Amino acid sequence: MGGVISNCIYLGKGLVFTLELTMGGIIIGLTLGVLLSVLRYCRICVPLVKGWSSVVRGTPLILQLSIIYFSVPGLVGVKLDMLSAGVIAFGLNSSAYMAEIFRSGIESLPKGQFEAAQTLGISNFYMWRDIILPQVVKNILPALVNEVIALLKETTLISVIGGMDVMRRSQIVAAEQFEYFMPLCIAGAYYYCMAMLIEFVGEKIEQRISYAKNP
Amino acid sequence: MLKIHDVCKSYNGIKVLDHVSFEITKSDVLGLAGPSGSGKSTLLRCIQKLETFDSGSVECDGKTGFMFQDFQLFPHLTVLQNLVYGPNLGKKSAHRRQSNEKRAQAMLKNLGIEEKAATYPGSLSGGQKQRAALARSLMVDPDILLCDEPTSGLDVATTMDVVQLLQSVCQTGTTMMIASHDLDFLTKISDRIILLRDGKIAADIDAKRCRNPVDRLKKYYAD
Repeated sequence: MGGVISNCIYLGKGLVFTLELTMGGIIIGLTLGVLLSVLRYCRICVPLVKGWSSVVRGTPLILQLSIIYFSVPGLVGVKLDMLSAGVIAFGLNSSAYMAEIFRSGIESLPKGQFEAAQTLGISNFYMWRDIILPQVVKNILPALVNEVIALLKETTLISVIGGMDVMRRSQIVAAEQFEYFMPLCIAGAYYYCMAMLIEFVGEKIEQRISYAKNP
Repeated sequence: MLKIHDVCKSYNGIKVLDHVSFEITKSDVLGLAGPSGSGKSTLLRCIQKLETFDSGSVECDGKTGFMFQDFQLFPHLTVLQNLVYGPNLGKKSAHRRQSNEKRAQAMLKNLGIEEKAATYPGSLSGGQKQRAALARSLMVDPDILLCDEPTSGLDVATTMDVVQLLQSVCQTGTTMMIASHDLDFLTKISDRIILLRDGKIAADIDAKRCRNPVDRLKKYYAD
């Protein structure tokens, strides 16, 4: 029993790192994702956005993470710590998926919403900020929550570059104690709780921004 | 007030507007009749600059307001917010915002939906949405109000209400252009009716002087 508790504490120390990676990834992913989806409506930016989306979605995340952690320092001469490299890699990767989610949300809105804003003399900036994006966010929230949960689970790849997250710690414990089942179960429970927390927050946000059905 | 000269527009090689020219003067109420696909909505959208045209010119003195066929109220804003959002943009002074709000509330009262000010559009009936949409398009103080099929999808009683509403707007001296396929509705409200067919003006009649405008227009439909 004492062993289980000490394993829980040891694995729990990786929670902060996992959450930092996830939060950082969400912030970069969401910001870039919104920007990329809006830039799709600017004709000269379309090839750039499509290219980004295609390359990021067409290559493995583990490769992107390795490039950022191992090759970028050699190319630009800046040494990145594990957290920064992880946040950048997960954020950039997630941005391509979030941009697609936002694009589907924007395209599902009636064209008339854009036109109504135009007839009322609302400038592009305010139209996107106050008319289009609030409606889009409401429509895509379930898909966004899915993406955030996927991002949380993908952070386990940080162990490839030696990051001490929950997953990596569970492997260390397993290797030390020649006992795989218990530490992996504890890690699984931690990830499941975090995923449920994200789902709960998503539901709360959904309730908060709900309004009567579309006209 | 509004001068349309030789406007042409085609989609994928099909002519939607074919050398359309006419003028309207201030306080005129012009009905645009015609079968589906005759170019009524496209013409209104060209005037509002929601669409570009291939050739010709549209000269308009003053601001235009546009009422959409499917209302296009913003579903995440309440009725009152729908009305004041546009006019409040860029107005930092609380006084200007309050006066916009008062004007919006007065307008909702005139249209008989003042109790719906805090309601979201999703829970309004068709007629109430139409009123809210009309109020929102009037909030920009338009010199010309363009209405695209204001009675489509409404029942007879609500259509009568819309006639009254639009008539009360006419009385304020607002110039109006109303596109509709409902000839009875158009003759009730318009001073002049232009009938479009295949993008061309097929008839241009004075609805007030003409003895039986509906029958006359129906003949053009049949020809």
